[in-house]
Amino acid sequence: MPIIVHLDIMLAKQKMKSKDLAEKIGITTANLSILKSGKAKAIRFSTLEAICEALDCQPSDILEYVKE
Amino acid sequence: MKNNTTLLTIIVYAVLLASFSTLINDIREFDLMQFKNFENWSKTAVKGKSWFTSENAILWSNYVITIGLFFWRGYLIYGFTHFISILREIEKKHYFSQKNINSFKKIGNVFITYTINVFILKVLLAFIEKSSFRFFNEFKNELTFLIPCGLAFYLLSEIFKRAKTIEEENELTV
Repeated sequence: MPIIVHLDIMLAKQKMKSKDLAEKIGITTANLSILKSGKAKAIRFSTLEAICEALDCQPSDILEYVKE
Repeated sequence: MKNNTTLLTIIVYAVLLASFSTLINDIREFDLMQFKNFENWSKTAVKGKSWFTSENAILWSNYVITIGLFFWRGYLIYGFTHFISILREIEKKHYFSQKNINSFKKIGNVFITYTINVFILKVLLAFIEKSSFRFFNEFKNELTFLIPCGLAFYLLSEIFKRAKTIEEENELTV
């Protein structure tokens, strides 16, 4: 996938654990792990909004497009 | 849903049992022992006569074709057994599993192969018996039912294939 998810970096910057983020945004840790590992096929706007709110960042801080 | 699946499974088993017993009964009535008559064929056959026109050869072909028809009926029953595996998958709530896709494709294959082969055998049988062969009558009997069914099952397998991809994508949507 040419879309890279930088959720790990943002979590480290905010010193937050995956479990806490999952709880805060209301998704399972398994789904968050799918997102972090780049296996996810799509992300809902509502999830992205919740992540941005929880990590106090912009969507561009989490997602990056890299040409293959 | 579970009750419906159970009911459908019972119906499929009943259909399978009925068709299998009919097939067995037809084979029994056909009397395979009549092949014993052919044991002395080489001794009784008139040497000068050509093989194709000899009466024994015609009878022999007749029996072979009839056995062929039995074989294809058995093959059709085998096709029906795939319905059970589909119903089992549905019971487990694996609606769009690879097993279901394969079963639908196999059922489609069985229906189409059966119809084509039975049609060919019936043409041969009519040719050997020198009886009048009404092409459109046979066409109506064999092709109007199972060929569209077979094609429908092929289509279902393609639809299920697409549904499986969408289901996987849906599962990977966060």
